[in-house]
Amino acid sequence: MPTAEALEQRITELRAQVRRAAGSGDRTAARRLRAELRAAETEWDTAVLGAPEQPAPVRQLAAAVPVREHVHRALTLLSVPAAPKLILAVHDAFFSGELVPARLTSLRRDEERSFRAAPYARPYYLCAAMTTDLLAPARGLLAVSTWPLAQRMVGPLSPRVDLLTGAIRLARHMTDHGCTPAGQRVLWQLGVSIPGATDGKSIDPDVVLAAAERELEVHRDDDTQQRADAAERAVRQLADPAAQLFGVRLAVADRRRNEA
Amino acid sequence: MTLAEKTLTTRLDELRGDAPTSRHNARTIAALTANPGCARRALLDAAAVDKTVIAQELGFPPKFGQSPFAITRGNSFEAMVKSHGCAELLRLLREELGLTIPEVGYHDLETVGDNATNSVRYQRTKQLLGQALSSGQGTMFDHPMLRLEIAGATAYLEPDVVALQIGGLFHVVEIKSFAIVDGQADPAQVASAARQSAVYVLAMRELLRELGQPPELVAHNSILVCARDFTNRPTAALVDLRKQLAVIGRQLSRLTSIDTLLDLVPPGATFTPGAGLSDTVAAIPSRYAPDCMSSCELAFACRSEARTHGSVDTLGRGVCDDLGGIDNLDTVLALADGTLDPGPEHADIAEMLRRARALRLEVAR
Repeated sequence: MPTAEALEQRITELRAQVRRAAGSGDRTAARRLRAELRAAETEWDTAVLGAPEQPAPVRQLAAAVPVREHVHRALTLLSVPAAPKLILAVHDAFFSGELVPARLTSLRRDEERSFRAAPYARPYYLCAAMTTDLLAPARGLLAVSTWPLAQRMVGPLSPRVDLLTGAIRLARHMTDHGCTPAGQRVLWQLGVSIPGATDGKSIDPDVVLAAAERELEVHRDDDTQQRADAAERAVRQLADPAAQLFGVRLAVADRRRNEA
Repeated sequence: MTLAEKTLTTRLDELRGDAPTSRHNARTIAALTANPGCARRALLDAAAVDKTVIAQELGFPPKFGQSPFAITRGNSFEAMVKSHGCAELLRLLREELGLTIPEVGYHDLETVGDNATNSVRYQRTKQLLGQALSSGQGTMFDHPMLRLEIAGATAYLEPDVVALQIGGLFHVVEIKSFAIVDGQADPAQVASAARQSAVYVLAMRELLRELGQPPELVAHNSILVCARDFTNRPTAALVDLRKQLAVIGRQLSRLTSIDTLLDLVPPGATFTPGAGLSDTVAAIPSRYAPDCMSSCELAFACRSEARTHGSVDTLGRGVCDDLGGIDNLDTVLALADGTLDPGPEHADIAEMLRRARALRLEVAR
């Protein structure tokens, strides 16, 4: 192993040679000399600072599980229509593999296209939650096509009921399978608005469970009724199977009236 | 629409000419109150002309606007407060304002069946608020679309949330990402949020009037949701808007009497970008004050004009008041150094100026 001084001298020489080679336009020589320079610099690092640590092995990505599979797992755990942000958080906290947020943006559109091209070709589709009043896709909420229609409906009380149901499901999962810090974080996000679910410092799945059950009692019946009515209406009114999964869109009747 | 209103609208349309239009929002409407005496601004706003383009055309492009960081931060804070069907907001309303547990109804009005056009959303808002009033159902209305007439033109407005409170009283909720530290917030930011909320309250009252309901059902208090201390956790406070409502209401009614200002414009002139634009703008008197810089896109143009004319406006309102009606810097300087004999109405101001000059010379010596 050459000493640091010898290496420094060599580095200075190499620098000058690189400059000369680059100046004279000899690209090949310049590149070769630069490589030598880098090697000398690395040697100098080792001589002065000691051997570099072995870089951590790159985390092996899970075998390419399709995005829809990931989303399906998270939604099945929650059992209620959910926004991409919550799906991502649940996936990160409770499942392995990587789910990239950007992949979620076009998911629903892709699923709809796939369904329209070949209906029922897949065992399940990730589809839209539907609003109870217009039977239109609820903005930013994903659902699973195998759920009963009523479960995919979103009425005025449903956001609250879904939040409480989701919190209960996660709390149950955590009592059965143990708490991870990431899981606690998601549960905290959901539980923070439930009265009595947190004491502001720590989060306990059992406490969240009890508090959410308590509040759910208040809203459950009205919401179930509204959803069931809407589901029945959807079956009656929507002949198109794609519309039953992805909702109906309101067409623009007269664009000029918006111009004021 | 009456005949007078119709001709006013036509005249404003003519005045706008081919100039690009801008839509009003609560921010611009609230800014109308910042300088009520400026005829130039009143006319441009009434004609819904895009002032940024006019300023660029005049050679004074606005140098700053809203910071993209501030906008992003505001949006993510709003998304956080409103996630999971406004769960955080519900918690705040329960804790701070006594909303009861059963009141959780949530309506998303950002799109109507994937249709995000203003008029569809407005109709839907009207329908849902009408239902809420008759049935008492429905607590939170996310991004409702409201409408306000600005000098005959319709402006669509979008409050963050409107909450239906206990007793059937509507409250406007404004979500802002600035912090309330130890119960204190930056007064300027609270004031601007209050002005915006007041615009929404006025628009809401207009909507209730259209529904044939008493406008007093919209509370004159708005709910301001801000970040607490140095965290990103939201907190809520009630803000009394009665003063802002009076000011903006008066300002809007003044805008509809804009026809007197229209007489200032030379016949046939328009705000169409091009050769004649600077003459047209110059013909309409402005009332520049240094605080225009924070609210008006034309401020740089007006400041330069005021400086060229030697107007005392550039020195700020306080100095203008002290000079008691003398509006030209040359006059002021001439009075101060005694080259101009003051008339009887300026005698005392001249006296004051001369004393100030004498003192200054003494200090400088």
